Amino acid sequence: MSEIKVKAGKYKPAYPGETIVAENRRKYLDPGYELKKLRSISDEDVVRLLGHRVPGEAYKSVHPPLEELGEPACPIRELVEPTPGAKAGDRIRYIQFTDSVYFAPLAPYVRSWMAFWRYRGVDPGTLSGRAPLEMRERDLELVAKELLETEVFDPARVGVRGATVHGHSLRLDENGMMFDALRRYTFDKATGEVVYVKDQVGVPLETPVRVGKPLPEEELKKMTTIYRVDGVSTRDDPELLNWVKRIHLLRTLAGFKLEKAEKV
Amino acid sequence: MAEKKLFIDALKKKFKEEPTEKQTRFYIYDGWKQSARKREFVEWAQKISKERGIPGYNPEMHLGGIPVGQRVLMPYKISGTDVYVEGDDLHYINNAAMQQMWDDIRRTVIVGLDAPHALLEKRLGKEVTPETINQYLEVVNHALPGGAVVQEHMVEIHPALVADSYVKVFTGNDELADQIDKKFLIDINKQFSPEQAEALKKAIGKSLYQVTRVPIIVGRAADGGTISRWSAMQISMAMIASYKLMAGEAAIAEFAYAAKHAEVIQMATLTPWRRARGPNEPGGLPFGYLADIVQTNRKYPDDPVKVALETLAAGSVIFDQLWFGIYMSGGVGFTQYATAVYTDDILDDFCYYIADYVKKKYGGFAKAPRTMDTVLDVATEATLYGLEQYERFPALMETHFGGSQRASVLAAASGVGTAIATGDAQAGVNGWYLSMILHKEHMGRLGFYGYDQQDQLGMTNSFSYRSDEGLPLELRGANYPNYAMNVGHSGEYAGIVAAAHAACRHAWCVNPIVKVAFADPSLKFDWTEPRKMFAKGALREFFPDGERDAVIPPH
Repeated sequence: MSEIKVKAGKYKPAYPGETIVAENRRKYLDPGYELKKLRSISDEDVVRLLGHRVPGEAYKSVHPPLEELGEPACPIRELVEPTPGAKAGDRIRYIQFTDSVYFAPLAPYVRSWMAFWRYRGVDPGTLSGRAPLEMRERDLELVAKELLETEVFDPARVGVRGATVHGHSLRLDENGMMFDALRRYTFDKATGEVVYVKDQVGVPLETPVRVGKPLPEEELKKMTTIYRVDGVSTRDDPELLNWVKRIHLLRTLAGFKLEKAEKV
Repeated sequence: MAEKKLFIDALKKKFKEEPTEKQTRFYIYDGWKQSARKREFVEWAQKISKERGIPGYNPEMHLGGIPVGQRVLMPYKISGTDVYVEGDDLHYINNAAMQQMWDDIRRTVIVGLDAPHALLEKRLGKEVTPETINQYLEVVNHALPGGAVVQEHMVEIHPALVADSYVKVFTGNDELADQIDKKFLIDINKQFSPEQAEALKKAIGKSLYQVTRVPIIVGRAADGGTISRWSAMQISMAMIASYKLMAGEAAIAEFAYAAKHAEVIQMATLTPWRRARGPNEPGGLPFGYLADIVQTNRKYPDDPVKVALETLAAGSVIFDQLWFGIYMSGGVGFTQYATAVYTDDILDDFCYYIADYVKKKYGGFAKAPRTMDTVLDVATEATLYGLEQYERFPALMETHFGGSQRASVLAAASGVGTAIATGDAQAGVNGWYLSMILHKEHMGRLGFYGYDQQDQLGMTNSFSYRSDEGLPLELRGANYPNYAMNVGHSGEYAGIVAAAHAACRHAWCVNPIVKVAFADPSLKFDWTEPRKMFAKGALREFFPDGERDAVIPPH
């Protein structure tokens, strides 16, 4: 995992804002901050959820191996130490998350920013109702495990969904769970845990995967990176508002009258 | 206005829970069977499959056996009306009024008569008088739908197939207008308020323009590019017949140019090869032209919000549902985006809220300083107000379940509000872009890759006029470079244009000739109330032009 993580350096994420939401954004983006582990999910269960290979199955990497194939001369190859997955010539595979608007720990932009700040060899995507993350397969499995086991995941307000992601903005069900048309997971009332019965694209799992208990909403409100009027409102964070307005002014004036932009 | 929360009635009808309730139940609605429209589709599909022996529509094919309807399939209220419909009723293919709306634009070409009249008099020595003009109008109304005028033994077109085709004229000269047979005249004095009519007549002057409505079926058989050709052919034939011109002398070439091409106003420009379409197709329709085509300002001159909302609705159907959704993409996905701005009174609420804010803070419409401070103030307030409504009313958030829907609606309210405050469409569209980045930072999400890209760079060119760098918003269209890629923008931009000019009480936005051409009571689509028309289409109460009943077996 250490070969995939970005090493904390002298640059820290400089996200503006004076509220807990802004603080959480800075925290999750900062590779120097260790994400709190809240649950344990076995390596095999992560592989099952992803659905790209069967646990124990070899990676479908390039063959013959890259050392035998030889690679063209390239200064970037010399500059950048490859991740284990890149070194092995793994396929690029994905994990995709859906984050509920109801105080999920992350939101799609924060997910992408976080991926860029914390991990190497990532290709995140940013949409409103889903956030794909693509990486070399063995690297992905390690990162997926961290994303599922730590405070940036909540079993009820975050879904692992490769397809048919509909649900991020829908009201919650009677157990406080986010809607999933494919019903990939169920709420086990006896244990209070969420259990995945299908993988991320909806293929039924032979062995269900337990991902732990949902957090109470009051806890989620302390962890979230989402501004909401019933949580922390943007109106209460003038530093953030003014920063966005300044960006808008700079972009507008720089495209129109550069000399004016210099004074903003 | 905002205290009333215009969207509450719709939310109560859509969901059984209170709109403020955060929880509901899923998987209990019986899938597609909860929808009367889907049940009708299944019934028809089964009949069709039996008759033709090939299976067709079958909602059980959805998601490998998990049909739509795991959550409630909510109805939609057409904003500004009392009509509730199902989402399916708003797909362009399912809605005859929407089709009529676009047909009315595509089949229209405006051709000036001053140039041919001058040539007739000065070069060919013919006399042009109100009487000859009326005679010509009789002839061209025979010719344009497909009647022959100068040749023996010609095939012609069944009038029942082209009953929608005709020619009318208008002028800014009251004296000339008085002498035109009323059945051929678009009467500016009758269609517009005295204030608007004066402004329009002054702009149009003594010129005489003919509005040709080419048969709808022609546009459908070929494309918008053929409309001006059809019009040109039949106009020149009618002129030759009316004025007894020689059909081959060299001077006729000059005349043909003057009559057919010199003063042609197409409704839309052609698009480049990568989106290749001829003129009079939706991709080339400038936002300002659409804002002129929509006639709401004739009926509601004191309500710039209504003017903006009706224009915006028309634009969403034409640009999003038709251009991006059908011409550029195909399939069924785009309707869901587009309906967000004209259903459930949601954008109406956001726009009337910000209009009230503007009135209170700046003392009326188009009175705020045209500065960046106004943009920052109005667009921020509109965006935050709207976001707060989505968060206070979970049913509202669920209604606009896609981030692009919410982004478009909030940015539209911001753009309309800023345009109404300043009376300036460029300021309005700049407010749109501020809304987008505020929204992104607030929610941590916006639309999707390409959608967001457009909105993170748009502010850099919102005040650019030079032709290689930009255009006034009025003259931009869905084909403007960074608008050409995705849904949920172009209709709204047309609404922003309309808002700015309506706030200033302008009689038109870009082109007074286009404005008058659609102030035509002979059109079946009522351009003063596009949303009412969509509702009629959804209820299957709108009877369109362009039927083929006359040449097919009775059914």
